[in-house]
Amino acid sequence: MELSIDRLTKHYGRKIAVDRVSATLTPGVYGLLGANGAGKTTLMRMLCAILEPTSGEVRLDGKEIAAMGEDYRDVLGYLPQDFGYYPTYTAAEFLSYIAALKGIPRDRADRRVKELLGMLDLSAVADKKIKTFSGGMKQRVGIAQALLNDPQVLILDEPTSGLDPKERVRLRNLLSEYAGDKIVILSTHIVSDVEAIADVVLVMNAGRFIMQGTVSELAEQVRGKVWELTVPREQARFWQEDFTVANYRHEGEQVVLRIISDEKPSDEAVPCEPILDDAYLYQFGAKEA
Amino acid sequence: MELFALEHKRLWRTTRVWLCVLLCFIYSVIYGGVFSFQWFVFGSEGEDTTSPYENNFDGYSVIRDWQEQFSQFGDTWTDETFQKIVAEYQSYDPMDRPGLQSMGDWSMAASFLNHLYPELEDSASQTYQPLIHYVDTEKLTDFYGKRQWYLDFNLEVARQGGLLTEADIDMLQEMNSQIEEPWKYEWTQGWNHLLTIALPNISARIAPFLAIALGFIFSGEWHDSTAPLLHTTKHGRRRLAYVKVLSGLAFAVEMFVLIAGGTVAAQLIYFGTSGWDMPIQFIKEIAVAPWNMLKAELFELTFTFLGVIGYAGMTMLFSSLVKNNVLALVLSLSITYVPNLLGRYLPLWAQEASQYLPLVGSPTDIFRTNVFHVLGKGIWSPYMLITVPFVIGVVCLPFAIKGWARRERA
Repeated sequence: MELSIDRLTKHYGRKIAVDRVSATLTPGVYGLLGANGAGKTTLMRMLCAILEPTSGEVRLDGKEIAAMGEDYRDVLGYLPQDFGYYPTYTAAEFLSYIAALKGIPRDRADRRVKELLGMLDLSAVADKKIKTFSGGMKQRVGIAQALLNDPQVLILDEPTSGLDPKERVRLRNLLSEYAGDKIVILSTHIVSDVEAIADVVLVMNAGRFIMQGTVSELAEQVRGKVWELTVPREQARFWQEDFTVANYRHEGEQVVLRIISDEKPSDEAVPCEPILDDAYLYQFGAKEA
Repeated sequence: MELFALEHKRLWRTTRVWLCVLLCFIYSVIYGGVFSFQWFVFGSEGEDTTSPYENNFDGYSVIRDWQEQFSQFGDTWTDETFQKIVAEYQSYDPMDRPGLQSMGDWSMAASFLNHLYPELEDSASQTYQPLIHYVDTEKLTDFYGKRQWYLDFNLEVARQGGLLTEADIDMLQEMNSQIEEPWKYEWTQGWNHLLTIALPNISARIAPFLAIALGFIFSGEWHDSTAPLLHTTKHGRRRLAYVKVLSGLAFAVEMFVLIAGGTVAAQLIYFGTSGWDMPIQFIKEIAVAPWNMLKAELFELTFTFLGVIGYAGMTMLFSSLVKNNVLALVLSLSITYVPNLLGRYLPLWAQEASQYLPLVGSPTDIFRTNVFHVLGKGIWSPYMLITVPFVIGVVCLPFAIKGWARRERA
């Protein structure tokens, strides 16, 4: 299975939201990273065939997704960024309704709904109205509906928003387990979410992919540019003004700064192992990111 | 089918929707039906006669009294019947007469006198008195001849005013010639109220509630942010649009059945079906349709039913074209309220055209001699007014489906 994106572009008037983006996605987990307004949601909506591109196309196994219509939607699962639900519906009712829209036969849908409610730790509240749920619970209902039809292409826009750390870990594990022979694309601006599960990371800025590769490949790009420097607490502010500081950790009266810099910032600075966060910050700088 | 059942259930489960149905039922059936029969239309006059809301809550027995009283005049309308009814009125104390007119058939008799026997008016009198108060009943002869004269006169006036052609008049006279004489007669005021007020008012009462219930059927999905999700499901576009349209139509039918059925049930309880075979000319003497009251009732119900379907079609189209609930509601409400509120400021052609909109025109055109001209052919107005709104609504449906199923451009 191959999802190919060919020079996909979206203009809103004069504003270019997505600018000639191309990529070929095969089974695996893809993390779409970028700041707010980078074009992630617009790209995802075009990948879901909700939004008509200004130019370019998306093909699944050689077939244009808009032309595939129902056939494409049959293998698609999508969690929108602003997940809408019917407040008076219970979680089970809502999932059953979406299952019907996905064309899942009633008996299979019942089993799948039950299974997903269990997987997402919602069994106990299956018969409670969604309007009474916390943000994290609602988000889990959203994730469950996306998984209902066991989609070949799963697109999740900010799936971890509203989830507490435990729920985030559970979701990561769920997606890692789910991916297998499927294409999973998840967007986020939380680097650690992507770092934990993405096979390939696509970094977006101003509507374009500016970096793509595995987590280690991207981290490798900043090898030799990540430093740790221990300084007195009162000096920390000056270092932050002059350098991109990825982390700031207190150790007694001292602070340990993780600095991203092409040059060794100080004789006392020691090089350290780069991670995805560093690569991301290297591209955008601490403020922009 | 499962999807339809789910969508239809979902529509009914919305608080806004069932609240609309409940309010519409209270307004139309309880207030406009039961209360009007029992209280402010047929209830006997209370101490304060200036307000119908001061009437007594005794309509049920009052109606029975009137039905019994007017049964004494026989079941056929002849000159003699007319004379007897006028004479009966004149036998009452003049102080009691105003109250009697509103519910007895004397208002009908007074109308016949004013229109058909104007020559009997006492033009020399210094003070105005209704003709029914003093007319010599012996002179009330040739009722059907007088009616024909009055019809001819009105049609000629319309022809001279450019409203009717010779061909139109021939067509209307042909219809008129099919009215059987002598007319069957029973107490008419119940039918009069039903056919000129209770049933025609259903349209105006049902429209805003239908707009609120169906105006959000598509736009509400954008408002609730569920549209992007639905659009990515296998059946979330075209099939869901079909299902939404079908459930919207089913809802419109159910609402109509509830409201119209409630009104008809109130009619059956309060004055039953007696007099169903009387001609509608008792309600308006120059009506040309050779219809009895029952046929007129069925026409008015069908008229409203088709108008409701047409209105539902237009409302769902607006709902699918705009993503904003308020705008969808305003557009839907404007179908009826713009012509009704601004009608008088519109040019004549626009006023006439607006009558074709669903739930704008009135089924009471069956009592009139209006003719619409389409491609040079004259068509009696009720035939146009009953079909065009329905056709408009049906034509809207494919566009409503397309509006929902399309991909977003922005």
